[in-house]
Amino acid sequence: MQTIIQPLTMRLGKREVDIFPFWLAILGVGILFGLVGAYQVFAYGLQVTGLTNQVPWGLWITIDLSAIALGGSAFTFGVIVYLLRIKRMEIIGKLSVLLGFLGYSAAGMILLFDLGQPLRFWHPVVFWQPHSLLWEITMCVVLYLTVLMAELLPIVLEHPAFTSHPWLTRFPILRKASNGLNWLARRLHSFAPALAVIGLTLSLLHQASLGATYSVLSGRGLWFNQSAPVQFVLSAMGGGTALLFFLSVVVFRIMRPGQVKDEVLYDVARIAGGIILLCIYIRVWDWAVTNYYSFDTEVALQTEMLNSITPYSTSFWVGQVLFALIPGMILLAAKRIRNFRILMAAAILPIICTVLVRWNYNFSGLIAWITYDPFTPTVVLNSYSPTWQEWAVASLVISYWLLGFSLAARYLPFSGSKHTHE
Amino acid sequence: MSEQEKSSHPKEDKVSRRDFLKMTGALAGAAALTQIASLGIKNVQAGHGEGGEHRWGMVIDINLCIGCNYCTYSCQAVNNLSDDMRYNVVTTETLENGDEYFLSRPCMHCDDAPCVHVCPVNATYVRDDGIVTMNYDLCIGCRYCEVACPYDVRVFNWYEHTDTSPRVPSFGTPEVPPRPRGVMEKCTFCQHRIDVGLERGMVPGVDDAATPACVVACPTGARIFGDLNDPESAVSMALEACKTPIRLREELSTSPKVYYLPPKTAASTEGG
Repeated sequence: MQTIIQPLTMRLGKREVDIFPFWLAILGVGILFGLVGAYQVFAYGLQVTGLTNQVPWGLWITIDLSAIALGGSAFTFGVIVYLLRIKRMEIIGKLSVLLGFLGYSAAGMILLFDLGQPLRFWHPVVFWQPHSLLWEITMCVVLYLTVLMAELLPIVLEHPAFTSHPWLTRFPILRKASNGLNWLARRLHSFAPALAVIGLTLSLLHQASLGATYSVLSGRGLWFNQSAPVQFVLSAMGGGTALLFFLSVVVFRIMRPGQVKDEVLYDVARIAGGIILLCIYIRVWDWAVTNYYSFDTEVALQTEMLNSITPYSTSFWVGQVLFALIPGMILLAAKRIRNFRILMAAAILPIICTVLVRWNYNFSGLIAWITYDPFTPTVVLNSYSPTWQEWAVASLVISYWLLGFSLAARYLPFSGSKHTHE
Repeated sequence: MSEQEKSSHPKEDKVSRRDFLKMTGALAGAAALTQIASLGIKNVQAGHGEGGEHRWGMVIDINLCIGCNYCTYSCQAVNNLSDDMRYNVVTTETLENGDEYFLSRPCMHCDDAPCVHVCPVNATYVRDDGIVTMNYDLCIGCRYCEVACPYDVRVFNWYEHTDTSPRVPSFGTPEVPPRPRGVMEKCTFCQHRIDVGLERGMVPGVDDAATPACVVACPTGARIFGDLNDPESAVSMALEACKTPIRLREELSTSPKVYYLPPKTAASTEGG
């Protein structure tokens, strides 16, 4: 079955204009700006950033964590499609694989900039230090990115260019290459359930470890949080699925009408809503427990000082509780609401919430820092503001993500007809 | 999909299962190989620094510290640091009664060092003699150790250093090669002096050439260095003499090997 893809258009006067070329131009500017910053970072080192010895992790780490979190739908839907065998989700599952791949590759890219020695990025794979959470995360991300590539290949090969491009008959070598790739894709697809299990294991491991990365830092007071690993897993699943729902509506309902039934999209929204509510339930318990222990003067002082210069508590109650609770309930009631505008608007908030959780986790302990004075320990405030080079690299990586998604949404059929055996 | 393709499926399934096992085996083998390879790398040892012959430690007498910063300057000169990088920091802090005092802070060389636990590549490790040190060739510059250190000890090479310290030569001459851009570095208790000194039969803490530069430079003798395993060493004697030596952020169970003799005016109570 040939999928008909309708381009996104915009009314300009009397004409309907395809926005794709303009969108690509915007992304091109983002990438060019990013390349200038990227050159500066590699040529002059991390001195061009706003990072210091007191605040050594900044904007890039937040983007890295967020990109990984927002790729969280890939393992969630890997399980739904291949282990729970919910067939109607299969096409949605393909989009989730794409989002997972883009998220993880974007995270890998930005991490490369963040390393003081980018050319030694492979060291964790060879020089093992299994006590380190960061080592475990690196190994998981490397392996999981491989799994995602194996899952993505059959989806990319659905594109007609790999089966019916005129060049395939003109140049036999291309035909052979295409046949080889298709053979590989079929083999990989037959491993799909195994890949789903490996993906689930790796994802649960490293998503949790990303939370634990912060929670083991007992010297930082505000980070020392026992439930961080669980929160990171659940917020990645919730935020990732919310993003998947939002983009599924764009890709399937607007650009490929009729390919996925509305009921299935509602189901995706309900899954997102359910996970988001579960996450916020644990988050609020965690808040209660933390408050119960707030006799810890240093932690109380840290919070107080953060509130004096940032909207720290507001960002928690509005950005993390409200932005999850209300959309969570709306998404859970998707089948009653049956209005995609409302649902899409609601799905944006948990995505912001997922990013905000990571932003706060990263900066709270770095900005408000407990001194080591043995007699009158106090809390000092450090400051950090990203330089334009940091924003440029951020723009490069985000533009890459958007470009990858846009090209896939525009050209890949996501039809699910080719490699399904049953 | 053709009939032939369909019928070939059960067979293909079997093959793929065998292939799957093969792949798993290959992966496990590769993993084992890399592990063995990494064991062969010199100087890579993650441990808690216990069981060695020596266990180097330092005692800093807060009563004697006058805040002159000679420790910082000699450290910069000897360890080849530019002016904006400091392994050792002297700050002015206050006691509970409001009196000010100088807190001089090298690396604590924790037995249970948070930085060592978090390093993803074993670039920082505890030596058998308890010194927490760096392998600059392994460091990827992720700065997780810097985030993990509760004492703000670690310094990152934000740029390529070409200038020598302005403390050269008045406070000493560089004794270690400069580090490249993008790696983490830290106080090493001047391990190069200790290692060479021991080879030449000297006693670190007694012979200046085998003792950390900051200890040698201190004009008031506020810093004492030596072997915590040796009950006769100056460090052990000082700890024995003082009823209540303190360690920074003891509540984190990092077990630092740098002890402080509290100010006499502090009524020998530890705050916190």
